[in-house]
Amino acid sequence: MFLLDSPLVARREVARGMFVLSMDAPEIAKSVRAGQFVNLGWSPGPLLRRPFSVYRVEGDRIEVILKAVGVGTAQLLAMMPKDTLSCLGPLGHGFEFPAGLKSAALVSGGLGVAPMPLAARDGRAAGMDVTWVHGARTADELCSEADGDAVIWATDDGSRGFAGTAVAAMPDADLVLACGPNRMLSAVAARRPDAQVAVETYMGCGTGVCLGCAVPLVRGGYDRACKEGPVYRAGDIEWSRLPAHLPYALSA
Amino acid sequence: MTADLSVELGNARLRGPVLAASGTFGYGTEVPLLERRALGAMVSKGIFLRPRAGTPPPRIVETPSGMLNAIGLQGPGVDALIRDYAPQWAQWDFPVLVNINGESATEYGDLAARLDGVPGVAGFEINISCPNVEQGGLYFGNDPRASAAVTEAVRKRTTLPVWVKLTPMVTDIGVIARACEGAGADALCAVNTFVGMSIDLNALQPRLSFRTGGLSGPAIRPLAVHLAHQAARAVTIPVIGIGGITCAEDALEFLVAGCAAVQVGTATFVNPRAIADVHDGIAGYMASHGFDSLADLPRYLPRD
Repeated sequence: MFLLDSPLVARREVARGMFVLSMDAPEIAKSVRAGQFVNLGWSPGPLLRRPFSVYRVEGDRIEVILKAVGVGTAQLLAMMPKDTLSCLGPLGHGFEFPAGLKSAALVSGGLGVAPMPLAARDGRAAGMDVTWVHGARTADELCSEADGDAVIWATDDGSRGFAGTAVAAMPDADLVLACGPNRMLSAVAARRPDAQVAVETYMGCGTGVCLGCAVPLVRGGYDRACKEGPVYRAGDIEWSRLPAHLPYALSA
Repeated sequence: MTADLSVELGNARLRGPVLAASGTFGYGTEVPLLERRALGAMVSKGIFLRPRAGTPPPRIVETPSGMLNAIGLQGPGVDALIRDYAPQWAQWDFPVLVNINGESATEYGDLAARLDGVPGVAGFEINISCPNVEQGGLYFGNDPRASAAVTEAVRKRTTLPVWVKLTPMVTDIGVIARACEGAGADALCAVNTFVGMSIDLNALQPRLSFRTGGLSGPAIRPLAVHLAHQAARAVTIPVIGIGGITCAEDALEFLVAGCAAVQVGTATFVNPRAIADVHDGIAGYMASHGFDSLADLPRYLPRD
């Protein structure tokens, strides 16, 4: 785990209101695995850091993807190149890529695309054929960047690709990795309990000490999205007790 | 010359005045980028006799300059603590106090007795912000008699340092402070989190599943400085200041207001090096202001 001062390098828009930020974080870029995240802080900013999956890695740079969903993310998107972020990571337990599997389906909804470019990288490195399945409400909310041997688009309103959810469009594959709103992931769990899903929770510390990011488990009790997670076997989560949607309108 | 930052806290001598606050440091075994040199002591995550699952999510919510938490004292119970953590603490070069919790004064006493003499356990911090099940769920810490009863129950079962962590949710903290002092506390910790609430205007319900949570962070600091000061004025035992400390200046406010030491909590979530930064900043202040030791730092502590 590293705590770095990371200059912001670039920003690009990849869907309506959805941006990728690129920052220098060499030690994290070298060691991060698909599904892991960084906890970002900045000054002046809100009290708590904000967790983001690492989206892509380019040399010494890492990228994260976000929308302005609250005050913190709005501040992040207002930052300029050379502004510095405090970058803590890599954090959490990422996706597993078992040897000997032939195909992987990477299923994402909206900002759930965040861990998928690294998942495509690591899946391919493990010898798998990768199908990229990405859904959103409507065409201009789809992340324009896709990385798969095959790509399936899905929109709720049918404005591009499959008319319906990404989960409904999901092909059969040896390995299913999914990320998106928790209600989407619970649908993945119903169809493929063996899928690996990256869940969304509020986080306090991001490092396992505050116990704020509790994920309810089928076997009882909770564990920590920031430590044992954020990636879980879909069938292990007690979905009825995990908030289906997080209200982001933080007043801070 | 480097100032002497060691402190006497009753029957405990600590190498530095900056302590890790309970619940913000786990059991000390998973803290990232830990700089042990700066730690005067650590107070463990709160423990009960038995394991506790904790509250359902959402457990935390950010508020202006602060956060609300309702973790529900999730923990593995005392047996697991003794088996899994105390042996590691015994190897460390700073003392670890265990934050103890119970549903009755007897349960607090039993917990202290169970932990007394376990290598690695250097003392106790009593969390009196627990509901007293035998008295209809009234919080021990809101009642001077219940606060004293819990303190005495622990005091009778151990010779190790006994600290009592006071709740701010009282009319007169001095009354509770004196009750705990009279019951044998070696030091007081002031203060625990403030009870707060935040509403989700889309769901039209509280943001926390538990409805309310404990407010911590810089938002509470001036309130906490005042309460720690009031507690320090009321007793002769040392008071350890807690509440929203993020930097050395914050800590020095508590020290000048009458505290012997401080605990850093929420700041560690944001800055894993917060404790070291606070410690080093105090050292810098002492050097630049010509104080040789913390005892030389003037305290603003008028007595009535």
